[in-house]
Formats: sequence, C-alpha cells, structure tokens
Amino acid sequence: MKILLIEDESSLSESIITYFTEEGNICETAMDYKSAMEKINIYNYDCILLDLTLPGGDGMEILRAIKKINKKDGVLIISARHALDDKLDGLNLGADDYLVKPFHLSELKARVTAIVRRKSYDGSNIITFNEIQIDTQAMSVKTGDSVLILTRKEYDLLVYFIANNSKVITKSAIAEHLWGDEIDLSDHFDFIYTHIKNLRKKLVEAGCKDYIKSMYGVGYKFENI
Amino acid sequence: MKLATKYNRVTLIASIIVFVFTGVIYYSVIHYILTDKLDRDLAIEEDEIAAYVKTYGKLPQAGSFKEQKVSYHLIDPAHDFERRYFYNDYFNESEQRIEPGRSLIRTIEVNGKLYSVTVTKSRVESEDLVRIIFLITLSITIVLLVTLLLINRFVLNNIWKPFYEILSQMKAFNLADKNDIQIEPTKIDEFTELNAAVASMSLRVKQDYRELKSFTDNASHEMMTPLAVINSKLDTLIQTETFSDSQGELIGDIYVAVGKLSRLNQSLLMLAKIENNLIGDQETIDLDELIRQKTRQFQELLQSQDINLKTELAGKQINMNKHLADMLINNLLSNAIRHNYKGGEIYIHLNEKELSISNSGSDDELIASKVFERFYKNAASEGMGLGLAISNQICNLYHFKLNYAYQDTRHVFKVSF
Repeated sequence: MKILLIEDESSLSESIITYFTEEGNICETAMDYKSAMEKINIYNYDCILLDLTLPGGDGMEILRAIKKINKKDGVLIISARHALDDKLDGLNLGADDYLVKPFHLSELKARVTAIVRRKSYDGSNIITFNEIQIDTQAMSVKTGDSVLILTRKEYDLLVYFIANNSKVITKSAIAEHLWGDEIDLSDHFDFIYTHIKNLRKKLVEAGCKDYIKSMYGVGYKFENI
Repeated sequence: MKLATKYNRVTLIASIIVFVFTGVIYYSVIHYILTDKLDRDLAIEEDEIAAYVKTYGKLPQAGSFKEQKVSYHLIDPAHDFERRYFYNDYFNESEQRIEPGRSLIRTIEVNGKLYSVTVTKSRVESEDLVRIIFLITLSITIVLLVTLLLINRFVLNNIWKPFYEILSQMKAFNLADKNDIQIEPTKIDEFTELNAAVASMSLRVKQDYRELKSFTDNASHEMMTPLAVINSKLDTLIQTETFSDSQGELIGDIYVAVGKLSRLNQSLLMLAKIENNLIGDQETIDLDELIRQKTRQFQELLQSQDINLKTELAGKQINMNKHLADMLINNLLSNAIRHNYKGGEIYIHLNEKELSISNSGSDDELIASKVFERFYKNAASEGMGLGLAISNQICNLYHFKLNYAYQDTRHVFKVSF
C-alpha cells in the first residue's frame, strides 16, 4: 500500500517509516504544510497519516483540502492534541480515524491496515494469512474449511496480530488495543496472557502452525514459520 | 462595628461634649454680664440715696415701684457691717408676686442713727433673657446634632457606596472566572484609586494564573511529542531481533514507565481542560446503562482479582459530556478494583439522588480532606494520584458533590447529583 506521512517531527516519522516500509509498502513523507499540500494534489495514496500541528499551517486545513478535491484517500489523524473537539472535528470533516500521541506503532499499523482494507476492497473484507481467512464483515474466522469459534477479544487479537505480522508487539500495546487506554492495565498484564494462550490453543487445535511467539519481557510476535 | 456607626458615635460624643462645655461657659458669661449690670444699677440707686441723705439729712421715701424696692431698718450701731450684694426673693408689689431679685445692702448714718439700706431689683428680666438664650442655644444644638446624624446617615452611605460595590465584587472574585472586575466611575479620589488598584491587582493575578495554567498545558503538550518519539523508537528497537531475557525485561520496564508518563500527561491536560471549562457537548446519558457497560469492560479485571461485584441500579439520566461521564465512572471503578484485595467486594448503588461505589480494601481510612488533592496517594497506591482529582473536577463542573467516607471497613465514594 501507498502511504503519505505528514509529520514534522523527523525522528518520529523515521520510526513510522521504518515500521511500515519493511513490508514493501511505499511510504512518502511531508514535513510541512506546503509540501504536504503539493503531494496530496499530485498523487493518490491509500492512506494519509496526518499530524495536526505542522509548520506553516493547520493540519485540519489539509484535511479540508483533501475532502474538497474529492480524494478517496483514507485519512488517519495522529496528533498530540487530545482535545475532544479536535477529534470530533477531524472525524466530522471526513477523517477515518484519530490516534493520539504517543501511540504504539503496532496500533498505528493495525488502524492503517483497517482503513486501507475498508477503502480498497469494496465490501469483500477478507484478510488472508496462509490458511487463516478472516471475514471482517461477518467477524468470522476460517482455517481451511473449518470455522474457528473465537471470543470477541481473541478475534480482535488475531486481526491485530495479522496486521502486525512479523512484528514484535508489546504487552501494553495489546492491552490498550483490547481494553482501550482508559483502563490502566499496566499492573495486570497476566490476563492478556490468558487470551493469548487461548487463541494459540484454538489455532493449533484447528490445524494451524504455532504462529504466536512469546518474546520474554517484551511481548509477542505473530510470524509465518 | 460599621465605619459609619463608629464615625457617628465619635462625632456625636465629641459634639455633645463641646456643646455642653461651650454652653456652660456661655451661660456663666452671660449670667456674669447681666448680674454686673444689675449691680451697677443698684450702685447708682445707692449713690442717689446717699446723695439724698447728704442733701436733706433724712432718708428718702422707702417703697416699691416697678422692678425696684427700697427698704430701711434701724439697727444697733454695734452691728455695723460691710456693704454687700446678694441674691434673694422679694415681693413685687406691682406684680403682686414673689420674684427673684438682686439686692445691695449697706449701712447709712442719718442724724446719728444707723440704718441698714436694702435696694432690691428684680432679676426676672435677666433670668428670662438667660432662659431664652439657653433655649435658643439648646435648640441650635439639637438641630445641629440631628443634621449631623442625617448627613452621616445619608451622605456618608452615599459616599461609601463605591467602596461597598468594589468590596462585593472582590468577594465574588474568582480566579478561574472569565469576568473581570467592573469598575464604576466615582468622583472621590480615594475610591478611584482603590478601584484602579483592585482592578490592576485582579488583572495581574488573573494574568499570572493564566500563564501558570497555560504553562502546565503547554508543558504537557510539548512532552507528548518526545514521548511519542520514545515510544516509536522502542517499538522499532524491539523489532531488531535477538534480545536476551534481561534486556527484554528492561525494555518492558521502560514501556511501563513511558506508558505511565504519557497517562500522567494526558491526565494533566484533562485537568487543565476541565478547569478551563473547555468541555462542551453535553448530552443526556443513561448513567445506569453506562455503569453496566463499564462493569462489563472491567469484567476480566474483576475476575482475575476474584472480586465480587454487586450492583443495584435504578434508572438515572444525567446531562453531561459523554467522555467525562466515562472518565468519572472509569476512575471510581478502577480505584475500587485497584485498592481492593483478592476476594474482596465492590458495591455500586445508583438512585435518583446519588451514586455510591464502595469497596473493601485496606483498613486505613483515607484522609477525607486530602483524598481529592492532586498527587495525593497512600503508600500502597500504584496510581498517579490524579484519578480522584479529575473525578472531583468533573463533579464540580456539573455541580455534583463527590464525597469520601470510611464506613464499616468499606471505602465509600459518593456522587450526589
């Protein structure tokens, strides 16, 4: 997929690009308002990652411009402005999602993947990973021909893992993804383990390989073996 | 005591003393002058009698006419005495009544016989004069005092009006309020000065307060980007294969710390936002439904701690921002879980008037006066000490009342709507 990252903090955009390009995605960057405007006027992207505070202009204006020229690009706002109004404004203006800084790269990746999926396959929302087939519309999972019954949390976890395939995902990223960042779970990572254990067991029982690898202290990695 | 009352009292006492004192002096002087005049008249009469005796060798006719009376008495030469004036009452024959008088008595020798001569003049006129003067003085005094009182009451009150106005504004002064102190123009220099001083002081204080607040706000904001960088760099770092277990653990700890720091920052920003009243968008929220939803969200956390949750929820709708309502319930509920023990209990009770969340926990009662302060936490707490401060601010914003009590070994937090 082709991504445009509009972000003025170079070390942050560097990390994001590294995280995204490894997969062979095309990832372009714009560091300020002017170059961002140029790029969105010339090229098409699957998803635009937009920071709201930019040198030379307001990110909201870029969003307005995108919508004005009727672009179909997905837009994900990444901002340190937790302001609820900003969030609502952004979503009302047609942004697809809003992520507050600081965020986990895995969360960003999952959200971008979801946006791109929604945008590119009209209606047929199927994620495929080897023998695993996920229908995001029906929220059902198949391995080969058999249907895999997962709980809501296990399902979310699997989608999250596949979006971040071959990446190490931290426990706190998983916790925040599954329970939201309103709940401070930093003292209770144990029951993330329970969900992962159950998911792993169900996958293996359904005939999949053991894709989930535990990285001691840090988190987990979902990887094709 | 009010300034006007105090002032009234002082002026009243002072003027009464002055009036009494001057009155006494006035009375004595006038009395002295009138008596002196009477005495001179008596002396003239005496001279006439003496001249008559000298010329005719006998006493003139004794008698009483008009306001004057002359009488003679033969006395023993051995009882000769000095001439003297004195006050007495005498019978005025023309008026047929006893009147106060002034008399001069002396001895006079007529043909070898010694007579005492008494000349008496009526004091009625001079007494009347004194009385009239006294009455006039008294009435002037009373009129003056009454005027003074009236002036004090009405004029002073009027003059002090700007003072009371500025005072009431100062009492109502609120740092977080957007309204500034309104200055009413006055013609009195002192009050103009006072008003100007108060206005500039309030402006300065507000300015400082604003700066301090925007400092917190900006500082928290500016911290978000470096935090995002740290987080993303860590995320990148862990992708680079091969960590030993101890390295992994270190990175895990850093994640937890960064997570705490960003939550702290977000809480500070949230507090600033609530304090600045920047939260809009109220909507009607079914509180009972929200609580049910939250308890579902916390289900696993409750189970992992074996906490027994009991709820008794009556339907209750409130008008507030959805996000804040979320945050309020979240904070109270996660506190109740965090400060509980394994196998403990949480009881949530909601009715039309109040929401109370009580939980079993440590035996130490929290300090009710401090529990809602920022960064207050007991030693065992792992939180940041901002959750309750935020909850309290949210309640204040909507004029709810958040209370803490320790009842029957339970910590009870109660929101009264």
